[in-house]
Amino acid sequence: MHHHIELHELILAIVIVLILVLLLIITVLGYSFYSYRILHNRQSWRQIIEYKIMETIVGGDENSDRDLEFAEYLKEPSFRALFLDVLVDSDRKFSGGAKQSINRLFHDFKLEDEAWRKLRHRKAYLVAGGVQELAAMNVESAIPEITAKLNDSRTAVYQEAQYAIVTFKGYEGLGFLDHFDRPLSDWQQLRLLFSIHEIPELSELHVDTWLKSSNDSVVIFTLRLIRKFRLMTFYTEVFNLLDHLSTKVRIQAIRTLQAIENSGTIQQFIQNFDLQPIEVQIEILKAMKIAKSRESEHFLKDQLWNHSQVSIKISAAEVLVVLGEEQYLREISQREDTYDELTQIIKHALQEKKC
Amino acid sequence: MLILIAEDDELILRTVEHKLVKEGHEVVLTRNGREAIEKINELDLDLVVTDIMMPFASGIEILSAIKRIGKKIPVIVLSSMGQEEVVVDAFDLGASDFMVKPFSPNELILRIKRLINK
Repeated sequence: MHHHIELHELILAIVIVLILVLLLIITVLGYSFYSYRILHNRQSWRQIIEYKIMETIVGGDENSDRDLEFAEYLKEPSFRALFLDVLVDSDRKFSGGAKQSINRLFHDFKLEDEAWRKLRHRKAYLVAGGVQELAAMNVESAIPEITAKLNDSRTAVYQEAQYAIVTFKGYEGLGFLDHFDRPLSDWQQLRLLFSIHEIPELSELHVDTWLKSSNDSVVIFTLRLIRKFRLMTFYTEVFNLLDHLSTKVRIQAIRTLQAIENSGTIQQFIQNFDLQPIEVQIEILKAMKIAKSRESEHFLKDQLWNHSQVSIKISAAEVLVVLGEEQYLREISQREDTYDELTQIIKHALQEKKC
Repeated sequence: MLILIAEDDELILRTVEHKLVKEGHEVVLTRNGREAIEKINELDLDLVVTDIMMPFASGIEILSAIKRIGKKIPVIVLSSMGQEEVVVDAFDLGASDFMVKPFSPNELILRIKRLINK
């Protein structure tokens, strides 16, 4: 049984394929036009919104025609959503009276309802947006609901809630770290650090708890906090972290000790050096490079000659250059008993200095 | 007074422009650093307000250009948080004042007045 394709069947198939291709082209064109319209609308709407914000900040001429036009636009949900976005964005650009004007627009146009609706939505990105908007516009009545979101399982939601609570309460808002068991990303740590402008007295209890946290990211964040505010009183607690199980924590502890150093820090680094893995040893040498202390000179020469790892020898040579020991390095590189590898390392360190 | 504002954020640019016009100043707007340098070369400006980060040429390059051509124009630099080192460079190049964003436009106007009256 063999079926031959007739000519009319072939033509029919070609016509069907052509129709499908044509439909596809029409769909793509239609969608492109729709996207263009949305983009065009958003651009022109953004200009209208920015003009409104500027007008409110400057406290300029009242123009009732333009106000009516603006009120018309506000009936469009996408326009209101964009208005809210632009307001939150503008809030980050201005302070003082201008910030208050932006806040007034938010309340006058009842955008708070919009933000609350988002906060109570099911979709994570909308909830996060609502949290962000209510915090930016300083809606304090939202604090209890946002606090509840700190325990939300969705990353976008709990991260935005953390940032919002710190925006509202400052250092006190970091209380959630007491029991926080998920990773605090580097980006989130930076956002939180930027939002804290001062540490109140009697903050020791919290900081001490966080340094003992079983969550490494909380410990690392706390070390950054100690660095930012130069909390010298925690020197011993930070030093004790040099035997922490995590290498990342140890590295941050070295950086923090360097930032809050005292007259004994370099000696402590030297005594602790052999107990540390290579990554931490390199960090100690970086700290010595910043400290530029002559106390480390003998130790550095010893590492240059005797350490088994090339990376440590290179770092030690670089610190010696910073300490002004170029002459010593040149002399040993020219000695006949100096092995080739060491000569290369020294040349590299001296070249780095030139660069 | 003729004041140049170099800023790539349209809302900040327009807000500062309107505030200055209300105060009776003449304002020239530029949205990138290259255009700002051209205007500085062409015009007899009384003051420049510039953002640090801008397309084509930064606020630092604008300050270098002013120094190179030898014009004595007061410059107020607008910077963002975390740009402290750049602000130090700006002062080394002759910046007269700086403000960190978020900033108050009213305070900027006061600083402009103070520099103009010097």
